[in-house]
Parts: sequence; structure tokens; C-alpha cells
Amino acid sequence: MNELTQLVDDIGRRSFDARLGHRGVPDEFDAALWRHLEETGLTRLTSSQAAGPAEAAIVLSGLARHAGAVPIAETDLLAAWLAGAAAVDVPDRGPLTVAVADAQTTDGRIVGAAAEVAWPHSASVLLAARTADGLHVTVVDDLRVVDGHNLAGEPRGSFAFDLPVDRFASVRLSAADELVRRGAWARCVQTVGALDAAAELTVAHTRERRQFGRPLSAFQAVQHSLAAMAGEIERARAATALAIAAATDYGFDTVQTDYAVSVAKVAVGRAVEPVTTIAHQLHGAIGVTREHRLWLATMRARSWVDDFGSTAHWARRLGRMALTTDEPWDLVVSCPTPR
Amino acid sequence: MSEFEALCANDGELGELRASIRDFVTADRAAYGWEPAVDSWLAKWDPAFSARLAEAGFVGLTIPAEYGGHGLGHLHRYVVTEELLAQGAPVAAHWIADRQVAPGLLAYGSEEQRRRLLPRIAAGTLYSAIGMSEHGAGSDLAAVTTRAVATEGGWLLNGTKVWTSGAHVAHQIVVLARTSPLDPQHRHAGFSQFIVPTDAAGITISPIQLMNGEHHFNEVTFADTFVTDGDLLGEVGDGWHQVTAELGFERSGPERILSTATLVFAAVRALAEQEVDERTAAEVGDLMARMISLRQLSISVARDLADGKDAANRAALVKDLGTRFEQESVELVADLVDGLGAESAHTRRLRDLLAIARLHSPMFTLRGGTNEVLRGVVAKGMGAR
Repeated sequence: MNELTQLVDDIGRRSFDARLGHRGVPDEFDAALWRHLEETGLTRLTSSQAAGPAEAAIVLSGLARHAGAVPIAETDLLAAWLAGAAAVDVPDRGPLTVAVADAQTTDGRIVGAAAEVAWPHSASVLLAARTADGLHVTVVDDLRVVDGHNLAGEPRGSFAFDLPVDRFASVRLSAADELVRRGAWARCVQTVGALDAAAELTVAHTRERRQFGRPLSAFQAVQHSLAAMAGEIERARAATALAIAAATDYGFDTVQTDYAVSVAKVAVGRAVEPVTTIAHQLHGAIGVTREHRLWLATMRARSWVDDFGSTAHWARRLGRMALTTDEPWDLVVSCPTPR
Repeated sequence: MSEFEALCANDGELGELRASIRDFVTADRAAYGWEPAVDSWLAKWDPAFSARLAEAGFVGLTIPAEYGGHGLGHLHRYVVTEELLAQGAPVAAHWIADRQVAPGLLAYGSEEQRRRLLPRIAAGTLYSAIGMSEHGAGSDLAAVTTRAVATEGGWLLNGTKVWTSGAHVAHQIVVLARTSPLDPQHRHAGFSQFIVPTDAAGITISPIQLMNGEHHFNEVTFADTFVTDGDLLGEVGDGWHQVTAELGFERSGPERILSTATLVFAAVRALAEQEVDERTAAEVGDLMARMISLRQLSISVARDLADGKDAANRAALVKDLGTRFEQESVELVADLVDGLGAESAHTRRLRDLLAIARLHSPMFTLRGGTNEVLRGVVAKGMGAR
């Protein structure tokens, strides 16, 4: 595990340094980083390397720490998994992404629109269209993508589709829930990585930056803000660790992982606001500029928490669990038993 | 072994222990009729409960069998403690002896002290207080001026302690005193700990009432109080190290998260009986996510400490985060149950719990070291100081 952590950190750091000063909005796909990841066998850990979620989490958080501009979660945990489940052929090399959409079946065609599709021009796109009777999966190309990006500049596209039913492979509807759960799980892991980066930059800045003749870190008010930041991150990390353990022990399609992801998505989601706010506050004005690297961490965290269900969405879900168990303490201690 | 179960402190023996303490608490409450309380570890002093709990085998878990305990680990103790607090059980009488004095005796006590005191602690019949803070020594504990001077066959204590919880009903007080004069260059040097019986001559114990008149705290004055050499705990001059070495456990334990748990759960149960809109459901979810994630952090610290790893920094974090959660949970609950209305069977009980929680909540972030001091500890650990 430590070896893997070190390897990912080296690869991530190298790509970050190589592109320093060239990051913008929208961000560009990092082909060199992707090549390094493929050469080291890290792009399809869970889908073709017989590794588990614990290893995948190391890759996700390590790359997030260095703001890696590649659809790593989308490729392995989402698209390659779903393609396997639906027996749809996808390229066995190169980045993949997944377009999740609600759709209708009319006259033998599946019609709908997909939004917030990550890296649509840099990856093979697997469309996952959810209708009343199932989840329908196919690879799509020649798309007319309306381009956009999230706050961190990561490309996010949208497109409409109108395709014959027989192009799709269908899987059980619960796969749609698992897809979202996997996505939420991945974003929790990635967000903690981004928050770690923000904290590291902030500690370093407050030690280097001097005002009133001493480093910022010598001021008690600054120290207390740093401690508040660390607290939020450690709490988010602890919740995410439970989600990683749940997925590793039981798989993604289980009540344990549903529970743990719900907790983690809320805990991580609620950590992002205080951590990014403190990071920017302690950096002063330099932290809000393009030239400083802080935004690569803070704006990723800000964007990612809204992916695959907002914090409020998962809070409602967890709240309903609490309101329908026999005993709320059981929900705190472990997975709830439904009434 | 399932890592998930381990992170939830439900694996193997811990799961069995959890089931048995739950059975005990349910049966005991049914038989004796105590009500789940807010902040029960300070406020609910019930010697009979402590004795029953010990009789059932749930006190002195980490004390070795040769001293009357159960020879189990810190995580076992964690599970029993959190179950008791979550149910608001009246644990105050044996609390300090079991939580702080027993580990101190095991680490630093003489064989004679261990044989004399540990079996009574494990039996839930020895009650102890801890004399640390003074009028001039709160957050700055090194400003303690109570002194012990060597005399024929023992020591003479002089000075005044404050905020000494339970001293008026305890058998003994573990007192931190100066045994060498203050050296401004080494303020933490020259302290020693003494186990002082509360019936020793020259001790005056006076109540310090809480805002509502509750009596838990005391002012304790020592006027030429004589203690024997056998009452010295650990080494002369080692007192500072002794009182700070094991702080991680008490800073990161379930008592830093669950002081208001009975209030939170009562509110959730009350809401569960009626239609709950989406926004309220989300607020319940937020509250639960905070509690669950804090518990996860607390358990991960407990596991590190049990493995002998240094987790002092994260332990301080748990106390800061956990006690602020306890405080904030009070008003969050007040908002949540605002719409229940007088007709709800829960309203009266919730109102009573809320009232106690509002009175006790200022203490959550003070006791065991103020959060301001702890944040300094955390920042230092981050490399900022």
C-alpha cells in the first residue's frame, strides 16, 4: 500500500510540476499523465487488475492531491465497471467517461439529454440512460456536445441523444443507483485529497508569509483557523475511510456501502465550505489568483461535492434512514436495520 | 475480519460486548426506572447503579484480573462507555476512578496502592475526584501553587483546588501539588501527585453551585493536611508528565461527542412518529452525519492509542470538534422539535432535556482543557508553531 501511495504521489507531482503555470479554464486533458498511469497499470485497477476499492482510493486521492487532469474515477470505477456489467465493449486502453441521463423510450428509440459529462472530448463516452424499466448502456460518438466546465475548469459537457433501442444493452435498474453511489464514493475520496492539498499549501503559506515582523503562523487567530481546518478534514477523512472499508469488504451494491457513502458524502460536503474558506482567508488576496495554485485544490473540492448528488440530497437520504430505524443510536454505531 | 466492522467497533468480541452491555442497560433501566439524562457522566451520581454495573462486569475493564478487573483493552472500554452514554445512564459515581485514576495507578502506582484501590474501583465502590485546577491555574495548569512539603513520614499539603467534581461525595482526591519551588525556566518541573483521603484532617470541601443550583463542583482547601509517603502517586517531581501522558484517551473518548446524545435521539424518535418534510429530513441527516463522522474519528484515534501510536494531535482535534458538536447540537435540536407542538407526548420530556443541555453546554468546551488551548496544541502539531 505504501509503495502504491508513493508511486501515485510521484506520478501526480511530476505531472503537476510539468504543467505549472499552464493551468486555465477550461483545463486541458493531461495526456502525459494518462500515459504514465497506463504504463504503470493504474488506470483500470478495479475493472481489470483485480485490485479493490482500497487501492483505487489511493490512486484517486493521490491524483486529486496534485489536481491531475484526467478522468480516472470515470474510467475505472464508473465506465469500465458499467460496460462490464452490461457486456458492452469499450476500448481496453485510453480514458473513458460516463454520461448519466434520464430518458424515455418512444417508438423504439431512447431519447433524452445528458448533462455534466466529465471530459467528453478526451474520453470514449459510455451513455447510461435510465428509463422506467431499466438502465440502458451504449457507447456513443459523433456527439454534438455543448461545452462547459466546472469551477476548477474541468470540462463538463452536455448533449441530447435519440438512438434506436437495439443499440443499447440493458441492465437492472439498481445498477443506476450503484453507478451514482460509486460516483459519490469516488468524489468523497478525491475531495479529501483536494482538501489535504489546500491544507498543506495553507500551512506552508502561513509559515513563510511575514506581516508585522513575524510569520502569520505565529498569530493565535491564525493557529486557531488552521486547527479548525485540520479538524474538518480529519472528520471527513474518517467518514471516507468507513466508506472505503465498506466498499472493500462488501462491494458497492450493499446496504453497508449505501450507508457509509451517505455519511461520507454529507461529512465531506460539509467540510468543503469551512476548509476552502479558511484556506483562502489565510492565503490573502494571492490565493484568489490564477497564478497561484490554491484554486486548483479549492475549486475542485467545491465542484466535486456537488457531483453525484448534492450534500443536501445525501443528507435527506441519511435523515430518512435515521427516521425509519427502530433506534437512531443503531444508525450511529453501524448500518441501520430498517423498521 | 471485516475492516468495516472494526471501524464501527463491532468486530468479534466488541460486538458481543456491545450486545451484553445493551442487555444490561435495558434490563437495569426497566428494573430501577432511571431516566436517560443529558451529560450523565457529570450529573448523574448513583452509587447503586455503579455497583450493579460493576457486579455485571462492566467497570474496571482495563484493570488486570489480578487487581480485580477484567484485563480487557481500551476498545472494550470504549464500547461500554459509549453505550452507557448513548443511553444516558447514571455513571458519574465511578466515572473518574474508572476513567482516570485506574490508568494512573496502573502506570505509576505502587504495588500497595494498586492492591488497595484497584479492586474497589473495579467493584464500582471507590469514588475519586481529581484536584488539578486552582483559582489562578485554569488553562495554565503549570501555575498550580498548592504545595506539598516533606515532613516526618510523609507530606504536608497546603493550598486550594477548584472545580473539583464530586469531591463532596468522593472517598479520595488525586491532587497535583508543587514539591519543588517554581523554576521559571522549567515551569513543568517540580510537581507530584498525591492520593488524599477526603476525610483527612485539614481538608475543607465547599460547594460551587452551577447556575441552576446543581452541585457537582467544589472548592477544596488543604491546611497542613498530612498524607503518608504511601499516598504519593508515582515519582516525586514527575507529576506533570503523569497528568499529561494519558490525556489522549480522555480527550478523544465518546464523552466528548455524546453528552447530548439522549437529547438528539429523543428528538429524532419524536420526529419519526410524524410526517417529516424534506428539509427537516436533511437537517436530521446533517446532525447524524456529524455524530457518525465524529465517532469514526474518535474510534480511529482510540485504535491508534490502543496500538501505542502517538495520536495526541488528533485526540485534541476530537475534543475540539466533538464538544463543539455537543454544544451546537442543542440549538439544532431546539429548531428541529420546534414544530412538534404541545400535543406531542415527547414535548415535555424534550423541553426538560433541552433545559439541562442549555445549562450544561457551556461546560462542554471548558472541561478537560479549554478548546482554545487545544487548538493551539493542534496548530503546533501541524507545524505552525
